[in-house]
Amino acid sequence: MAAPALSVEQQIKQLDDARKLVLSDANYYPQIIQGILPIAAPGARVELRRWVSDFLAETFASPSIPAQQKETMSLIVLDTLKSMIENPQEDAAVVKSVVQTAASVYPLVVRWIINNSYDGPTWEKMLAIKSRILRIWDTAATGVRICCIKFAQRVVLVQTKGPDADPRRGDPLEVSLSMVPPNHPLIPPNNLQAEASGLLDRMLAVFQENISDAILVDATLNSLSILIRARPHIANRILNVILNFNPLKQANSPMTPKSRVMIKSMEKTTRSLLVHILKRDNQHPLAGKIQQYVERMMRSKSDIFDEQTRKRGPPEPTDGLDAAKRQKLSAQVKPAAPKFHVPPLAPGSHSVAELFTVTTEEGLKGFDVAQLAEHLVVQIGITILQRLDADTLNQAVEGVRKRLQSMSAAQPEMLNAATAPLDVEEDDDYEPDFYGAEDTEQILNKLDGAPPLEETKLQAPAPDMALGHFTLPAPPPLTHEQVAQVGQGTVARVFEVMQTLEEKGKTSKAGINRLAASAYDRPAWITIITRLATRASAGLEEVNAVKLEPHQMPPFSLGNNIRESLYRYIFEDFRKRIDIAVQWLCEEWYNDKMQMKSGEDAVLHYEKWAIKVIDGIVPYLDGQDRALVIKFLGEIPGLSMEVLERVKGLCVNPTTVNMALQSLLFLVAYRPPARELVLAAVEDVWNTYEDARPVVVKLFTKYRPDYAERIKAVEEEKKSNGVAEVPQAVAA
Amino acid sequence: MAQPQTQAGAANGISNGERQDPGGFKLKFCTVCASNQNRSMESHLRLAAAHYPVISFGTGSLVRLPGPSIDKPNVYQFNKTSYDSMYKELESKDPRLYRANGLLNMLERNRGVKWGPERWQDWQVGAPRLEHNTDRGAEGLEGGVVDVVITCEERCWDAVIDNLMERGSPLNRPVHVINVDIKDNHEEALIGGRGILDLADSLNKAAAEEREANPSGFDSGNAASRAGFDERVPEIIGEWQERWPNLPAVWTLAWF
Repeated sequence: MAAPALSVEQQIKQLDDARKLVLSDANYYPQIIQGILPIAAPGARVELRRWVSDFLAETFASPSIPAQQKETMSLIVLDTLKSMIENPQEDAAVVKSVVQTAASVYPLVVRWIINNSYDGPTWEKMLAIKSRILRIWDTAATGVRICCIKFAQRVVLVQTKGPDADPRRGDPLEVSLSMVPPNHPLIPPNNLQAEASGLLDRMLAVFQENISDAILVDATLNSLSILIRARPHIANRILNVILNFNPLKQANSPMTPKSRVMIKSMEKTTRSLLVHILKRDNQHPLAGKIQQYVERMMRSKSDIFDEQTRKRGPPEPTDGLDAAKRQKLSAQVKPAAPKFHVPPLAPGSHSVAELFTVTTEEGLKGFDVAQLAEHLVVQIGITILQRLDADTLNQAVEGVRKRLQSMSAAQPEMLNAATAPLDVEEDDDYEPDFYGAEDTEQILNKLDGAPPLEETKLQAPAPDMALGHFTLPAPPPLTHEQVAQVGQGTVARVFEVMQTLEEKGKTSKAGINRLAASAYDRPAWITIITRLATRASAGLEEVNAVKLEPHQMPPFSLGNNIRESLYRYIFEDFRKRIDIAVQWLCEEWYNDKMQMKSGEDAVLHYEKWAIKVIDGIVPYLDGQDRALVIKFLGEIPGLSMEVLERVKGLCVNPTTVNMALQSLLFLVAYRPPARELVLAAVEDVWNTYEDARPVVVKLFTKYRPDYAERIKAVEEEKKSNGVAEVPQAVAA
Repeated sequence: MAQPQTQAGAANGISNGERQDPGGFKLKFCTVCASNQNRSMESHLRLAAAHYPVISFGTGSLVRLPGPSIDKPNVYQFNKTSYDSMYKELESKDPRLYRANGLLNMLERNRGVKWGPERWQDWQVGAPRLEHNTDRGAEGLEGGVVDVVITCEERCWDAVIDNLMERGSPLNRPVHVINVDIKDNHEEALIGGRGILDLADSLNKAAAEEREANPSGFDSGNAASRAGFDERVPEIIGEWQERWPNLPAVWTLAWF
């Protein structure tokens, strides 16, 4: 035993040395254990009792001590353990370690008793320790309670039937009821088994009671895996209880940060255990149920926590790379640069040197850098710039800037860059338009070089050229050509983007209500372009359109520019892009309607562009394009006589006459509002193109029964005199 | 800055991130990431610099470091290759590349902390670690057990918990296993390291308070009413999470 003269610190130091000795050579354990036990006598200082109990827990847990040696030592320490745990005044940390030790010792003692059934006293001690632990299980501090759970787990493991194992072999995890002879006088197996069953129930009660203490749940869950794996006959009982456990039960009530951690923890730990079991035995009879449970848990968990995450607003830890967040965090990382104070200048005139002197130290202020050799100054300058903290530099620059500002505020009349004739002669070597980029130094240089005209003579001496208010001259106005050119460039770029985008196959059409930017594909971009063309500049152009008409150059109109490009785009492949044409014209039509609603003198575009499009198509049509023409005429939002005029034109050509009339028939049949208009056009066809008459008769008798008679009449007349008087149209 | 005064009167000078050893009770920590290179080593160093006993591990099957392209990583064995030899190898392969992507810096730091990457699954918990006495943070870990394991990625946490269950908890020793989710890059590792140090400080403060004078017995009335360290852990993590919302945490109490 340590000499009483030693202080507690010294004793602990000695004990630590002893511990290091046994850690390096396990052979010394029996000696050291014998030596330290008296130190933990009931009256000893708490520091010493803690040290001893910690040491015992460590010793009996250590994997580097052979089990046989541990077994022998366990018999020595039981008395100490018993006296510590039975002391109601014992320190919680000591008790915690004692319970841990007891859990490690229990299988050792049981095995000893199995083989030495005469040793009643030892078993008595172990029983006393066990019953004390089971008694304090529910009432002790949480840290002790979790160790009680673990102790109970070890007892259950020992006192249930396991795979047959050699009782002489070391591993305490293998000590099981199977090793106990049925007629053992001290430990009848049936009693042990009954006790284990009761203890297991008590352990599992944590899942059934309304217990909110996650740490007890976790401690239990994390100790159950070996029971499930090594004790198959109780595995289902355990698993069924867990499968009926809902760790998210408490998630309904409002969660505090603490309860969030606890609920998450219970859920995750439950899931981890089940996944662990599933991974090792996917043929398990409960595998299906476990799988279901795990999946359900994951779903509800993400429901609960993601929901909360979303509710808690944007700054959530979903993306650690978010620049804003990163900034915030790195702001914490970087210690703030030391505050650098630049004292403001006193009112009055100052030299440039004073302006840039930011130090407050008089000695430094007096130092003339010109004394130093130039290369030295350069070297020093470079080194300083390399080392200088950017923040400090910024602060200094800011300080000087403030000085300049205050000076310019005090002497506004001194220098006005806009009026001061600094560059009286046109200097070749700089562009007056672009001297905005000059820095202070350049301007100062310029000032130095300025001729000493009366106007530039200022009250202050030359170096006193504090910068006055300086405004950039307005840029020269762009000419119309330039504006048009730049505008054209912009439009071209917009179209370039579209060309790079993927052409989607068939997309569902949402008509006029489609969202322009619902997807980043070509149709979406086209929608954007058509709307840019039709709506962006709507209402802005009328004045120009009226006033600037006589100019030779048409005024630049963004809308028309885009329209032109769109038109060209469509005619690069009008058969494929007829949909786009229709879509665009719909937008035009819609916009025209909106414009008419808002003002009477609106500039309308639909009609003009509809005709332009059809004019563009017509020359290229052949007899095969019936579907295209029908589609176009059927889908454009407004039909006018002028458009129909173009269609009529197709009747000249024998290859297209059928197509033209069929599309007109389609309009008559399916666009009732336009029916009269179209029929009038048909009438015109009748009157204009004699060759088309048979087709007209074939197609339109249903709507105009008199065509048949008329053609008969005409034919008869032809037969009679060959010169037919064209009958008047019936329908007006 | 959260700076626990674990010992009354202990000078707490801070200079360049290092602080004076406050002495007193200290929790023992273990940091874990995939390769025991970046995140776990950054926090290993930080905790060691704050005078906590600390060890670190990786849960991956091999140590993987980025190579010249994504399909050509540099692969090493755990426990067999030292940081120093990795450093020398990469330096000889392509000093510019590995300087530019920060690997050499990282290995430089790591070789100053300990010999080489260790694999969690190969760690024999409770086996004396006397031969590691030159590692940073080795003091206090001679017994080879820790109180708190901090993983840097949920997958590592899963691996640790699964492995602890596999081991069957033979030591009967409770251990708090906490995941602090950190992205695997140098910047995030730095931030994560700070977060982990803050967490360690908060936990250690509570543990030290528990160890502080406890004159009354464990089962006398006020012992149960006074919250002990283990019980306070969820609350401490909850508060910490409010301070570090970008480092999502998961916790459980497991067994060695």
